[in-house]
Amino acid sequence: MSTFLLILITGVGLGALYFLVASGLSLIYGLMGVLNFAHGSFLTIGAFTGLWVSTKVFPNPTTWTFIAAMIAGGIAAGLFALVMEQLVINRLYNRHIDQALVTVGVALVVAAVLGGWFGNDLRLLPTPLWFMKAVTIGDAIIPIDRFIYIGVAAILLTAMLSILKFTRIGLIIRAGVENRSMVSALGINVRLAFSTVFFIGGFAAGVGGVLISVFSYGVSPGMAGSWLIYGFIVVVVGGMGSLTGSAIAAMLIGITNQFANYYVTGLGDFVVVFILAAVLLTKPSGLLGKVSH
Amino acid sequence: MLRWKYSRPLLVAVTLIFALLPFIGNNPVTNPGLQQTMAVAFLYGALALTYDLLFGFTGLLSFGHALYFASGIYVTAILINTYNWNFYLAVLAAIIFTSILAALTGAASLRTTGITFAMVTLAFGQAGHVIITRDFGGLTHGDNGLPINADRIPSFFIGVVNTKFLYLLALGILVFIYLAAWWITESSAGRVFAALRDNEQRVSVLGLNPNRFKLLSFVLSAALAAFIGAGMLVVSGGGSPRFASSETTIALLLMVILGGPVTRWGAVLGGILYSVLGTRLNSLSQGSTFDSLPTFIKGPLSEPAFTLGMIFILIVMFAPGGISGAYYRARFKYLNKGK
Amino acid sequence: MSSLEVKDLHVTINGSHILQGVNFFVPENKVTALLGRNGVGKSTTLKAIMGLNPGTGSIKFGGTEIVAMPTHKIVQMGLGYVPEDREIFSSLTVKENLALAARDDEPNYDLVYSLFPELLTRTSQRAGTLSGGQQQMVAISRALLNKNQILVIDEPTKGLAPKLVTEVANALAHVADHSTMLIVEQNLALVKAIAQKIIVMDQGIVVFEGGPENLRDESFVKSMLGVSGGHK
Repeated sequence: MSTFLLILITGVGLGALYFLVASGLSLIYGLMGVLNFAHGSFLTIGAFTGLWVSTKVFPNPTTWTFIAAMIAGGIAAGLFALVMEQLVINRLYNRHIDQALVTVGVALVVAAVLGGWFGNDLRLLPTPLWFMKAVTIGDAIIPIDRFIYIGVAAILLTAMLSILKFTRIGLIIRAGVENRSMVSALGINVRLAFSTVFFIGGFAAGVGGVLISVFSYGVSPGMAGSWLIYGFIVVVVGGMGSLTGSAIAAMLIGITNQFANYYVTGLGDFVVVFILAAVLLTKPSGLLGKVSH
Repeated sequence: MLRWKYSRPLLVAVTLIFALLPFIGNNPVTNPGLQQTMAVAFLYGALALTYDLLFGFTGLLSFGHALYFASGIYVTAILINTYNWNFYLAVLAAIIFTSILAALTGAASLRTTGITFAMVTLAFGQAGHVIITRDFGGLTHGDNGLPINADRIPSFFIGVVNTKFLYLLALGILVFIYLAAWWITESSAGRVFAALRDNEQRVSVLGLNPNRFKLLSFVLSAALAAFIGAGMLVVSGGGSPRFASSETTIALLLMVILGGPVTRWGAVLGGILYSVLGTRLNSLSQGSTFDSLPTFIKGPLSEPAFTLGMIFILIVMFAPGGISGAYYRARFKYLNKGK
Repeated sequence: MSSLEVKDLHVTINGSHILQGVNFFVPENKVTALLGRNGVGKSTTLKAIMGLNPGTGSIKFGGTEIVAMPTHKIVQMGLGYVPEDREIFSSLTVKENLALAARDDEPNYDLVYSLFPELLTRTSQRAGTLSGGQQQMVAISRALLNKNQILVIDEPTKGLAPKLVTEVANALAHVADHSTMLIVEQNLALVKAIAQKIIVMDQGIVVFEGGPENLRDESFVKSMLGVSGGHK
């Protein structure tokens, strides 16, 4: 029972991290049709910014400095995403394949620049001591960091859903995910929505990057690789353009991954690909998918 | 006619020259080191062409092509090393296995289109990479790579002295793949592939099943990739997980974009250039050319991925047809000069 | 000035040269109906006017050239668009669909709810669960909320049950009294009721520009539109 609880909560924690990566991917693709391979770069930039805050700006890690690191990481990644959208994505309007290709190039360049400036070694992101402690539930001993990931993801999910539901730009985004040209046909300039979505997606990925550094014990230029792929899988399974779909899919994938890995090491990756294949064969648009690009 | 009428004879002449180079006098290609580099470059040129069939011709943006390449490498290697199969039979079996694998994964992936298809193929490709690195059953040796049992390979490929035969083997594979690609794209099936890329609706309206043709294109390019994989196994002496990585597929994508999609020779040129550039950039970065520059600039410049990534971005944004596209545009202008 | 002048409009989509030099004039404060058999390019013409299809040639709205303008700017100039197949946002509520469309400081909800009282009871309902007729009401309402100078409407009664056709037709007639309208419509009874001018297209060009009285002539209707009579 105690192992079950540990694996379950770790799975949910992992799912929370996947969600942070997938949420931006889902919105960006849903609204703009852009397959953003540079999303991993947002993650890495967030992680490096968080590292800088936690080592150079505030040499002694406390809860507050960690929160500052997360926010700084999110903002840095969000701003980078915004700049990328303005400089590069925007110029290739409606050339979806070219947009996807260009993001591949950006991902390469960012990883190379970070590697060139900081080297490719893994660096530890200092965290407050209590992160490494564990909490006892029943007879299960569960590391606290899982709850932090879940908590942060829950906060961001709520914030994003609120923006979508209660603001005008959120309304425009929701409509645009369904039918972008009709939104223009109502006299609305969707460009602002594009920039917003890139910033939000970048922010979430940046925060995710900081947390992933804690989970994976390190920051490095190449850290985003497998997280990006899992992010894609979560988005396809959950349905493009649906935040709730991504959240559900992220949980599903995180939990099954952990349980599978518990029984056979390495089985987790397979099971996830298997889930992907199963969803594709039965409902190709994803669990809650609504986009018809 | 955009094609220069001497282009085909020129290609044949160039190929013959390349074939003879290792044997003539004192030119750089008599050096086994360069022969090895060129052999690998030829194989990547061929591999890029198989990817062009899929992406350039049929319009299927797959991010998992490396899977089939690696499958060709590893299945051949495993059959030879662990099960002592005959070399030629192992290659044949690897091609058949990869074709079946492609048929299955292709059928699942083709349930989606466009961007989702890209993501799905990426996932399958990753799964393949994971299988190889996790070393299930001890067959693939994971990250250590899988050196081929030299006894089972025809002896004229073994040894530094015989590198020129590896060179010829790779060149031969490239020629074969080029002819195969030419045949496929000019065939009636090939016409359908091109039609699929441009306007899928028109294909269904003609009573043809688009998915069946997409799957055909998918399986064909995978089978050819596996064949090239067997060649790579011999040329590089063993398998390595990086052949299955997403980095390799992305490299293929860069090759095709660099050389220009749909032109066939563009992909080959892109593959060869990329492969050679990659090696050159690597040695540049390990050398001391950049030492006098401030770290701020030196850092990124000494990472080959930086230069490649920037070239890629610039091509996609400003010269989408790559090298061959630029050539045909220039030729078009030249032909229409004064009209 | 809310007149629309289209000159030598060409539209090519996916290699098909659909509009091959369309010329016509939509006078202000009148209802102009665009007629023709299926596939002649009527919807394509409306979409080109709205900037949703790339066209070459000239489209002048109130004297301003709009042929190369982005869609949202065209709409902001005062062109209200009701597309074929409604294209309402099914995941948004009725209220949200309307709110999205509202541009003016004081959108005219009174007009909308007086024409379509059914919508008032369904403001929180997800638009995807509405009936076809109700969705059409939302689609038309979107164009009525703002003070648009011209309404560009594509087959508003398509696929609707007869009772709803009447309801929509009445709403359009009410609005037609004081606005400029360009409407594509297959229902000739409706056209006869509200249009002051008709334009007939065939194979990508305009073949007739004149008054709606021509529709009473059966041979005219048969040759131009390929239908016998217009009793729908």
